[in-house]
Amino acid sequence: MPENLLTVRGLHKVYGKRDSKFEALRGINLKINRGESVAIVGKSGSGKSTLMHLLALLDRPTKGEIILDGTNTSKLKQRDLNKLRNKEFGFVFQQFFMNANDTVLNNVILPLKIAGIGAKERRRRAMHALTIVGLESKAKNKASDLSGGQKQRVCIARAIVNDPAVIFADEPTGNLDSSTGAKVEETLFSLNRDKDITLIIVTHDEELAEKCNRQIRISDGRIESDEDLATEREIEAEIAAENEELRKNHKTGDMDADGLRDDATVSHVKVKEDK
Amino acid sequence: MKALDIIKEANQSLLRNKLRSFLTILAIFIGSFVIIISTGINAGVNDFIDKQMNSVGGEGYLEIMNTNATQQAAAMFSSEVQEYSEEEEEQNTDIFITEEQIEKAKKIDGVKSFDALPSAKAEYLQLVGKDKKIKVTNINLVPRGNLNMDLVAGRKADSDSDNYEIILTQEIAEAFGYKGDSLDDILGKKIYLAVPGTIKCYTVQKHSDCQTKVEAEIVGVQAPGILAMTGSRVNVALWNKMSEINNEGVPKENTLAVQATADVDPDKIDDIKKEMEDIGLTAMSLEDEIGSIKTFFDAMLTVLKIFGGIALVAASIGIINTLLMSVQERTREIGLDKALGMSNGRVFMNFATEAIFLGFWGSLFGIIVSFLIGKGVNFITHETILSSLPSFQLIIFRPLDLVGITVVIMLIALLAGVLPARKASKKDPIDSLRYE
Repeated sequence: MPENLLTVRGLHKVYGKRDSKFEALRGINLKINRGESVAIVGKSGSGKSTLMHLLALLDRPTKGEIILDGTNTSKLKQRDLNKLRNKEFGFVFQQFFMNANDTVLNNVILPLKIAGIGAKERRRRAMHALTIVGLESKAKNKASDLSGGQKQRVCIARAIVNDPAVIFADEPTGNLDSSTGAKVEETLFSLNRDKDITLIIVTHDEELAEKCNRQIRISDGRIESDEDLATEREIEAEIAAENEELRKNHKTGDMDADGLRDDATVSHVKVKEDK
Repeated sequence: MKALDIIKEANQSLLRNKLRSFLTILAIFIGSFVIIISTGINAGVNDFIDKQMNSVGGEGYLEIMNTNATQQAAAMFSSEVQEYSEEEEEQNTDIFITEEQIEKAKKIDGVKSFDALPSAKAEYLQLVGKDKKIKVTNINLVPRGNLNMDLVAGRKADSDSDNYEIILTQEIAEAFGYKGDSLDDILGKKIYLAVPGTIKCYTVQKHSDCQTKVEAEIVGVQAPGILAMTGSRVNVALWNKMSEINNEGVPKENTLAVQATADVDPDKIDDIKKEMEDIGLTAMSLEDEIGSIKTFFDAMLTVLKIFGGIALVAASIGIINTLLMSVQERTREIGLDKALGMSNGRVFMNFATEAIFLGFWGSLFGIIVSFLIGKGVNFITHETILSSLPSFQLIIFRPLDLVGITVVIMLIALLAGVLPARKASKKDPIDSLRYE
């Protein structure tokens, strides 16, 4: 029985107000198990990046909740969210985001520094992470001296240095040619395989998405298709039942004028079983 | 993130933009330098005045003049146009200390002695049995009481004694050939004072015919210092003898004293000054005299410090500007830090620490340069304008002052850093990491 890591219920995200209001996410329900590799696929503007930001706890949803490892994150304070991100998540970005003037080692150390780990210990762990991505010999080099592929592998080392449960990768190969990209992919998937790190990759690269064991397609802020649609329906039914319960108890007046969970009905989700 | 990490990081960030950081630090340095130097001069002057006060003691020593005289002196510097009044003139012309005033003053409670001093002068000094004559430009009295003399040899002249005693200045003793180790040898030697008779000198052909040689004993040698600038000092008996010779043939009412000295009970000094005022006398203690020097320096240094403060205000605007640019440039970095779990508070702290260190380095730079310049200035002034005052260090740096100034400057820098640091801490990680 796979262990549940992330549960998302009725996730909405609205940007702007009134006339400029834009609904980026319109009711996302999903479950992700520990050790899965998940590709979030969609055209630009589909809401896939917004979804990743919410999953990664970089932003708070307008409505809905994200349950990580049994903890309802919407109830956490900003401080605890920061700690959670620091401990449980690793990030790999398309544009690397490294301090170019700093050494490779110092770039990898950053999450441990933020966590307040002592100098000796963090050095040891950073060297270990660099060994995993095969760049231990570059530790003393300036980050700007590396090639694109090497930079991304340093970023992967930075992402795994704190032993995270999840790595969020936003177009990790988007800036790389196919051969270096392949090496980066290989590094990511081997981490997923060998270390049981959950991989959540946002991409519009079909080839990369195929390599993941699950693809979630996002379109217009909704899930268009997912292997695990059954779970989604389950959650939707759950929410619908909860709403019914609320109505029965005459608590509708307390709710949002729009109806907090109105969108969480099956009829709103276009079901496409096939890719 | 630990405190040491924050400090290291802040300084690394400053080093990343060397020129920009340096210029900001330079601006802070200018302000801190001015303030440190003026504080140093302040300390130097105060220290010197304290030393002088201690060496002179003289808590019960008063110098007294007729109030009319002080008012007339003040009127000389006044541009006010006044109508002539004969009555007033008659009252005011009397600048001498009258017998009546002396009698009254002596009866004031706490006055131990009161010496009214008619003018006295000598023309040259000559060791008995030697040829060398040293011209006397100024001669002064050793007042009664506990006024300490800053002596390098011998003792204070005894004003209660009937013997004629004199204290020479170190320069005069040296001019007679008594230097260094042989300085003590001049003690006990007899010396002539050539005292002129004012009236007599109008009548004689040869000037030397109107001079009377008075023999006195050298009992001490006075160290250079503010109070020694007035010249050699004689005891009351010798002073009176000189005055007597000077005024031979002058009508009694014209030989009255303009100045007097008194030895009084230090605890009652304020009351005594008031009572003297009531009988038309103005009394000044040493503290009053030195106080006016101090007031002048204090005013000058306050102005300097204000300039330093203005420079610091300008420098803190520089800090704000520097850090705002830094926040702008490092938007991405801040976004990454936040994504990786850095709290807003930490981001704020990082930038605030940078501001504090801009202040710290500026201040430290100021201390080092002030220190070097202070040493140089002290050395040069010792060789030149202050060579006669070896105990006077123009600039003194007190560690506590320096620490205080540094802390205040760091606080000002922190204050300047609040705006940019807030801006950094408010950055949204998603917006910051969005790629254009």
